[in-house]
Amino acid sequence: MIAQNKLTVPGIIAKVFKWFFLIFFLMFMVLPLVWLIISAFKTNQEFNLKSPFSLPEVWQFVNFKNALTISNLPRMFLHSIIVAIATTALNLVVAAMSAFALSREKFRGNNLILTFLLSGVLIPIIALMVPIMKINNFLKLYDTLGALILTYTAINLPVSIFLIHGFMSTIPRELEESATIDGCTFLQRFTKIIFPLTKPGLVTAGTLVFIYCWNEFTYAMILTISEKARTIQLGIKYFQTEFFVDYTGMLAAIVITMLPTIIVYTFMHDRIISGMTAGAVKG
Amino acid sequence: MSRNLSAGKINRNWKGILLFLLPALVLYGLFFIYPIVTVVFTSFTDWMNFKSMNFVGFKNYINLFKNPTFLKAIRNNFIWAMVLAFVQVPIALSMALVLARKPKGWKLFRTVYFLPTVISGSALAMMWKAIYNPTNGVLNAILGLFGANQGINWLGDMDTALVAVLVQQVFYFGYFMVIIFASRLGIDDTMYEAAMIDGANTWQQEIHVTLPMLKPVLVTAITLAMAYGFRHFESTYLLTGGGPNHVTETMGTFLYTKLSSAKWAEGNSIGTTIILLGGIMISVIRSLLSRERAVKARKGGAA
Repeated sequence: MIAQNKLTVPGIIAKVFKWFFLIFFLMFMVLPLVWLIISAFKTNQEFNLKSPFSLPEVWQFVNFKNALTISNLPRMFLHSIIVAIATTALNLVVAAMSAFALSREKFRGNNLILTFLLSGVLIPIIALMVPIMKINNFLKLYDTLGALILTYTAINLPVSIFLIHGFMSTIPRELEESATIDGCTFLQRFTKIIFPLTKPGLVTAGTLVFIYCWNEFTYAMILTISEKARTIQLGIKYFQTEFFVDYTGMLAAIVITMLPTIIVYTFMHDRIISGMTAGAVKG
Repeated sequence: MSRNLSAGKINRNWKGILLFLLPALVLYGLFFIYPIVTVVFTSFTDWMNFKSMNFVGFKNYINLFKNPTFLKAIRNNFIWAMVLAFVQVPIALSMALVLARKPKGWKLFRTVYFLPTVISGSALAMMWKAIYNPTNGVLNAILGLFGANQGINWLGDMDTALVAVLVQQVFYFGYFMVIIFASRLGIDDTMYEAAMIDGANTWQQEIHVTLPMLKPVLVTAITLAMAYGFRHFESTYLLTGGGPNHVTETMGTFLYTKLSSAKWAEGNSIGTTIILLGGIMISVIRSLLSRERAVKARKGGAA
């Protein structure tokens, strides 16, 4: 396709530029991570005194063992998993229910409610720190995992409803019509027909919500105070004091917190990318 | 649609519909409507801990806009919005266009460019903090290889802190790249074939075929980038906490310091400012972009 300007001078310059930037950005994404991982295997002395480009003399797996014990990482992992799974489940059920009512039923105000629900994406959640904290206080949820689950569920509703509603709208109506004739109720149409058929849409929305919950930092910080509800991302904030004397131990802890998403991404990158793309293409 | 058919008639499943909408509406009420109303209303009071709440008019806003720290924060949010919209989005666009021509290994490039988007911002921030570390960070070591000055305190120096925080974010363009890329792949190949028959080279094809077709997704990307700029909080909070001497302060980090000292009303006046400024900025940029589109369309029609 681009054969026509292969031999010209500008064509060659363009090619050199193209590959320079392709490789530059590839290195920008990868090399800091590689440096982090290699450094996490060094002793502190080695890290501070030897060249940062050298490999560890002995790979210090003990750093990772220390990281897990010093910072209470396993417990924070568990908290993050609980929050992410519970939020994803709750968010999908709530979003699917409203998307079902709005996409499969005709009633007055239908479009208005849909517009209202979708406009939630426009709200800068960061501006609502104070009242969202107060709401969780009022609900007696402050400093519990419940606060995070409920808040994350709500914050993610606009995107989930958008994705699931979009998907449900593509399911042909005939399926339900014959089911209604067979005596299917409103609820059964949802549980037996539409919900199972929406599975791909649910997986996409669920993946996004799960990643959001796993990575969320700001509200985890605002809504919790003690270790009993501390998630992994918030834990990172305390690494610097906890690993005061063990810098490479801290780097190991950072590597551990990154691993789950990197592993999930390696296996599911196409689905994750397509899900995130679908969420944005509206404007 | 055939909505008119049912207008005036009550849907016979109305109980089910109501029940199904209720959970979402309750959550919206609790986490969007009530908070927005509270943020705006209490920003005109002196609400803080252990005190009764009194109406004080615009006092919080007057204090806010007389506060040099807050003005710095606003300036920085504008910088963030501009850099994300007009540096990050153009990089994302160029890389999307390059990858859409499917060079060798394009799938690998796309996957790797997107990788930082799924890693948590807090972990990445801590990684950059280690990279920028003045005594044992790798950035100073790299500069040392070229004989450049060593021992720069990237995040602690007032001259470098803001740039350092921006750089660790601006090159993570993967998110915008994939949404632009998806739109680019949606353009029919026959348009390029037609352009080639007309003698357009790759460069001309991108400018005259791709860019006009990508306008809607670019408007979306720029809008989102602006919105992120005004909401920015996390990596600044973790890397510098708004310092040194507030040079990296954003409205978000300033709001958080008010929250930490239980100054609810002052915090909420910042919240209101974030909502308003962000909204105004986004509508201005959108109307500018869409006007330009309308003018171009008219020109195109006349030609």
